[in-house]
Formats: sequence, C-alpha cells, structure tokens
Amino acid sequence: MRPLTLWRYEASRVGWTAALGPPLAIALGTAAALVNPLAQDTARILLGGLEMVIPLAAAVACASIVGHDPAVELQLSAPTQYRSTVLRRVTVTLGWTAAVAAATAVVLIATGWWERWPANHGPFVGQLTWIAPTLGLSGLGFAAGCLFRSPAAAGALVTTVWAIQQFFGDAAQRSRPGRLLYLFATTRGSEPRDWTANRLTLAGAGAGLIVLALIVLGRKERLIGEEDE
Amino acid sequence: MIAFAASLRYEFRMQVRKRSVWIVPALTLVLFLLIGGSLLRDLFDPDEVPPEAKTAVTALAVQVYALLTIGFGCLLADRLVRDDRLRVAAILDATPARETARLLGKYLGAAAATAVPILVVYLGFTVAYAIHSHHPSAIGWAAAALGLVFLPGLLFVAAFALAVPLIMPAPLFRVLFVGFWLWANLVAPEQIPTIAKTVLHPLGGYPLTALLGFHGIDGRDSWAGPVPGATLNFLRPHPTPATAWLSIGVLLVLAAAALTSAHLGKRHAD
Repeated sequence: MRPLTLWRYEASRVGWTAALGPPLAIALGTAAALVNPLAQDTARILLGGLEMVIPLAAAVACASIVGHDPAVELQLSAPTQYRSTVLRRVTVTLGWTAAVAAATAVVLIATGWWERWPANHGPFVGQLTWIAPTLGLSGLGFAAGCLFRSPAAAGALVTTVWAIQQFFGDAAQRSRPGRLLYLFATTRGSEPRDWTANRLTLAGAGAGLIVLALIVLGRKERLIGEEDE
Repeated sequence: MIAFAASLRYEFRMQVRKRSVWIVPALTLVLFLLIGGSLLRDLFDPDEVPPEAKTAVTALAVQVYALLTIGFGCLLADRLVRDDRLRVAAILDATPARETARLLGKYLGAAAATAVPILVVYLGFTVAYAIHSHHPSAIGWAAAALGLVFLPGLLFVAAFALAVPLIMPAPLFRVLFVGFWLWANLVAPEQIPTIAKTVLHPLGGYPLTALLGFHGIDGRDSWAGPVPGATLNFLRPHPTPATAWLSIGVLLVLAAAALTSAHLGKRHAD
C-alpha cells in the first residue's frame, strides 16, 4: 500500500471526535465570548478557547486512539508496525487540531482581538498559547491510552487533570512545579515571568510522554492481552 | 423483575471489577492531594478546618463530588453503546428479558459500581475526620449529603452519560461533558448565562443551601437563588426546603427523560 494511501486510511480511522472536536471547541469559545457582557473579558475568552478548549478536544481524541481496533492481532502481524499506524493517527489528529487553531489565531490577529489581551506574547511566540498545552495534554492522553488500553480511562484522566486545573487554578500555581505544568498560563497565569518556561516545560513533557507511549506500544504482548471492557 | 435484578447484579459486578473504575479516582485523589488547597488535607489541619462538623463534611462533599463526578461520567459513557460494539445486542434482544428491565438494570448497576470508589473516598475521609476531631455527628451529616447531593447528581449524570453517546461518539461526549460540568457549576452567572445556582444546578446548590444550611467554607458564599444582573434568574427562586426538593425532583425527572429517550432511540434504531 502506498504511504499516501496509508495516511488517508488512518485519517478516516481517527474518528469524528478528532474531526469535529477542534472546530466545535472554537465555536464554543466564540459563543462564550459573544454572550459575555463584560467587554474587557472578550479577548481573554477568545484566547481561552485556543488555550483551554482546543487542547482538551485534541487530548481526548489522542486518548481514544488505542483500544478501538477490533482485530489488533492482524495489525500486529502486518509488515507495517502498529506503532507506525498509531503514530500516523496521532499526527493526523494533532495536525488537524493545529490547522484549526492556527487559522483561528490568524483571524484573531487580523481582527485585532489577539493584541487586546495584554499577555498575548506577540503573534509568533504567542502561538505557544495553544501549541504547548495541546502537546502536553495530548501527550498525557496518548500515554494514558497506551498504558490503560481503555479510551474511557484515558479520557477520564485527561478531562480530570484539565478540570482540576480549572477548579483549583490558584492552588495549582502556588508552587513552581505547579506553575510550570499549569495549562492555562496565558489567560489565567499568576506569574508572567514563568510563561516561557511553562510553555517549554509543557511542550517537552508532551513530547516525552509521546515517546514513552511509543515505547509501551513496542511491547506487543500488552496489546493482545485482556482488554478493560 | 428477575431480568432487572439479574441485569443490575451483572452490570454492577462487571463494572466494579474494571481496573479503570478504581485507577481513575485513585489518580484523581493523588493529583488532588498534590495540588493542595483542598479539604482532603485541610480537614486535619487545626488552622484550616471549619469549626463545625456539618460545614466541614458538606464542603468535603462538594469538592469530592465536583471533581470525581467528571471521571464517573466519562467512565460510564461507553456502557450503553458497548453492547452494539461487541455485537451482543441482538443476542440480548432475543432473550425473554424485556429491554426496559435490562436498560434500568444496566443504568443502576453500572452507575452504582462506578460510584463505589467515590463513596469510599468520601466516607473514608469523613470517618477519619470524625475520629480525628471527635465529631461523631460528621457521619450523620455525610449520610445526609450522600442522599441529598451525591445521589440525585450522580443519577442525573449517569443517565446522560448512557444516553448521549447513542447520538455522538463517546470521546466527543467526554469533551462536551467536562465543558458542561465547568459551565453548569463553575461559571459565574453574571458573566455568562449558566444553570449554576438554578434549580437545575447539578452540584445541588438548592439542597446544599436550604436543606444542609451550607454557605461555603467561610459561611459567606451563595449557592442558590437570584443573582443580581444574571440571566435565567427565573430559574433561581428563593432557596427554601420546597425549592430544594423541587431541584432534586427536576434532576431526577431529567434523568428519567434521558433514559426514556435512550430507550426509544434504541428501539427506533432497531
């Protein structure tokens, strides 16, 4: 099978969550900004859609990639490694998320909403607003999905981590490690000086977790064992 | 009745043995403890713990319920669609057991099993607090919180977690559910139209206020009733015992409506 065909096939396998999640996230963020009566909060909510909702949609999609294949034994016996197959799905999911998020950021920059939020960090470096939490949370979701082989458990873990940082934003940022791993440092960050370190830590942690997940996927006997149905 | 009991027992036993049902609340608890600022630690800190046992265990109920319910809803999201995915729905339909009885058994059995770790966490911390602070009344207040806040709220969430994935993929439901939970419980009503502090409040603002006399850890928060400048204030009557029971009834009616829709939807699909 030609590589392009493989990519096209895996794009069709990632599911509706990966396809609909990012546009739906932007639509919800925009709707929240429109109904908010406080004008000074509009820019924060619009950037919050990129920093908060986009990573959540991508992460739950990544958490659901492993554990759905009905005949994984067949895939494990194919010349194409299962690890490569899954990596293609992750790339498609994150690539589509990045396309939607980047297009939204361009619209926000062109319309002037981007610079209305004081902590925007510019149009280029500022893109870490969504890149870093998307990589960090998606890496966690993908690694949890590979470890648990249960999209329900991995999805529950990702949504809970996201919600804890929403519900307990102040407590989560009291220590430096907490601030470095805080997902919403652009729109709810307590220490502007920690922003760059926070973004790099999240992106690095996400990349590290994806590598860890791929190592776990190399242990094929785990994939054909008992499933947590 | 036999089909209902058998389905309930089987679904409960199957779900309670799932590793993820225990792993997710355990990891949540670890994160909760690491972050700090929660009553899990403050209950045992003489400088931070609320002076009244009732306030302490009710506030603990709010924190545990608000956070662990997210995993509860996510874990239940694949329960009803699972029979179709495993291609056993047709075999189950061919049995003499009525579909309504099987659906109710699955709903109550899976929900009860997924709630077990949440109750273990809440009651465990409550008993430890009661012993540590010499407040045996804490256990009675915890039982009241379980019946008035946890029970209707978890039944409400479980019904939608089973029903909604029939019309959208379970992962998409998980994304929307956590967004809903945040919007319905955390968003300030004066900022964005929300059902927080209304009779539809999933966190149980009315029972907390009018039946448990809870006004936040410091006693100054408002959990139910009209909010100046907010929309949807027609859903925020003055909190009284009657409106509190109305709020519980509304959540249970909505849960029944979601289950009925799921039942009719499945029959239509068949």
